Amino acid sequence: MTKRVTLRRTLIACGVLAVALVVAIVLMALIGSEALPVRASLCAIGSLGTNECGLSRDQYDILFQIRLPRILLAAAVGASLATAGASYQALLRNPLAEPYLLGVSNGAAVGTMVALVFFGANEWSRPVLAFAGALVATLAVYQLARGRAGATPERLILAGVIVTTFLSSVIVFVTTLMDATRIRSFTFWLLGDLSGTTKTLLPVAIAMAVLGTVALTLNARSLNLLMLGERDAFDLGVEVGRVRIVVFVVASLLVGSSVAASGSVGYVGLVVPHLVRLSLGSDNRISIPAAALAGALFVIVADTVARTIIAPRELPVGAITALIGAPLFIYLLKRV
Amino acid sequence: MLAIALACAQAPKPETVGAATQQLTDDAGRNVTLPARVERVITLAPNLTEIVFAIGAGDRVVGNTSYCDYPPEAKNVAKVGDTLQPSLERIVALRPQVVLISTASQLEVFTQQLQHQNIAVFVTDPHDLDGVFRSIEQVGRMMDQDQQAQAVVQKLRERTAAVEKAVKQAPAVRAFYQVSGEPLYTAGREAFVTDLMRRAGAISVTGDVPGAWPRYSNESALAARPDAIILPTGGSMGAANSNVAEALRNSPAVQAGRVYKINDDHLARPGPRAVQGLEEMARALHPEAFKQ
Repeated sequence: MTKRVTLRRTLIACGVLAVALVVAIVLMALIGSEALPVRASLCAIGSLGTNECGLSRDQYDILFQIRLPRILLAAAVGASLATAGASYQALLRNPLAEPYLLGVSNGAAVGTMVALVFFGANEWSRPVLAFAGALVATLAVYQLARGRAGATPERLILAGVIVTTFLSSVIVFVTTLMDATRIRSFTFWLLGDLSGTTKTLLPVAIAMAVLGTVALTLNARSLNLLMLGERDAFDLGVEVGRVRIVVFVVASLLVGSSVAASGSVGYVGLVVPHLVRLSLGSDNRISIPAAALAGALFVIVADTVARTIIAPRELPVGAITALIGAPLFIYLLKRV
Repeated sequence: MLAIALACAQAPKPETVGAATQQLTDDAGRNVTLPARVERVITLAPNLTEIVFAIGAGDRVVGNTSYCDYPPEAKNVAKVGDTLQPSLERIVALRPQVVLISTASQLEVFTQQLQHQNIAVFVTDPHDLDGVFRSIEQVGRMMDQDQQAQAVVQKLRERTAAVEKAVKQAPAVRAFYQVSGEPLYTAGREAFVTDLMRRAGAISVTGDVPGAWPRYSNESALAARPDAIILPTGGSMGAANSNVAEALRNSPAVQAGRVYKINDDHLARPGPRAVQGLEEMARALHPEAFKQ
């Protein structure tokens, strides 16, 4: 495939997904536990919040202070996790590599927990330590998985399981030491919860999602060659070590910023890249940016279900993504 | 080896055989057979500890949880862990005749394990203030402290009636009960505090939501426009939950300065001090009704 054709296909696929994403953001903003007047809401969203279009103060606040920030966070988290998953899968040549299954999400969760316990007041400490936790977990899994024969897919998943369970017990240990009121909010958060959108963490999550996707897309050609095997890629001129570091660091940043803002939303990084590859092929120059957009779509829809299905009560979004993701995972496992 | 094992298996038989017993039905609908007068009790929640002490049987509490801090003497009792993770071994070693459980602690598996050890379990699960009074009377019966329990309940009923009378003329205030702000939790239909709010002259805006402590939607909280917010905080909670949730920052309650912090120990524990919580809540919501 020539470069130009790839570019065109990428632009078409991403263009379609981007339009779908904008439509989804607007549509899902109309749905919630409180009914808002549709036409006025559309008018207010169309004006980007500058015109109230007859919405009451409360309705305006619900739309712009609660619902839209939450939807944007869902988009950022979905894009981050899906992109991270897509690039792990390419780099590690493993269709099952995923932030949650590899223990990277749990690493970030432990980091966030440390931040909450020791630097509770400082919101910035959360994404920073989440990133550190994600990176440490990534490196631990990678080192564990690298046997004499290289990192086979099975070894990698086993290493991920070991690191995940180890970190889970760290989490259980710390939550046991916490007092009862904090445990409750914590268990909810661990399953992935987008309700706690803050003015600090939302811009961080969005910025990371965009920059991370761009950075990984720029390495997509190298990742394509890496899918042939590290040695072949090296022979074809890929700086394997550099690409590996870029993917590990950027994916850790993506997972860290989304876990710090929303806890561990599982299966997004697995399901979305697979669906994207099934429909668009496995060229990373298309599938990485497309996975970002499709991941955003997926989590926005899943979270809309989570916040409306038993309204005015709520479910954690992670429960919904797992409910959709686990059966899909089994289906994909049978195909691999 | 085998002989030792058998001897151990047979050793701790309950002492109820031949002795006078009593039959009680607990809040889970289970029939519980107990000695006519319970001499050794373990209380697995702070409200239950407070009930046993209030009816004058505190000296028969042989074990309680690390959360049990009232009355002060309760702190000196042997601890068997906390409400969510009690130690089965320690409970067995303390040889209780009954273990009192509050369903808030959801210990179904644990209850079965205790029954395998021939330790009776009595479950309390009050959903309103009358349920709390019933718990006190039931515990009084099992401890053979009927009169004391009835006297306690009598006093509490009088104080409750006085509050209800005082706020009767006042218009009910639409109030939001914030269990925690982030994530937002509130009190639902099955929480006994919802009944407490009603008696204190408030209408809980979440009083119809299913469940006892539901996770609540931010936008629904905002749309509810409560005129008052109850923040259970302080006491054993420390400084936790002392800020109004983000979604309620512009509510009529905050604008009117009607955010009331009430000692969580009085509101979250369905025991004798719940009436104190009722009084505090009523005085906060309707100060004019108590001016004399």
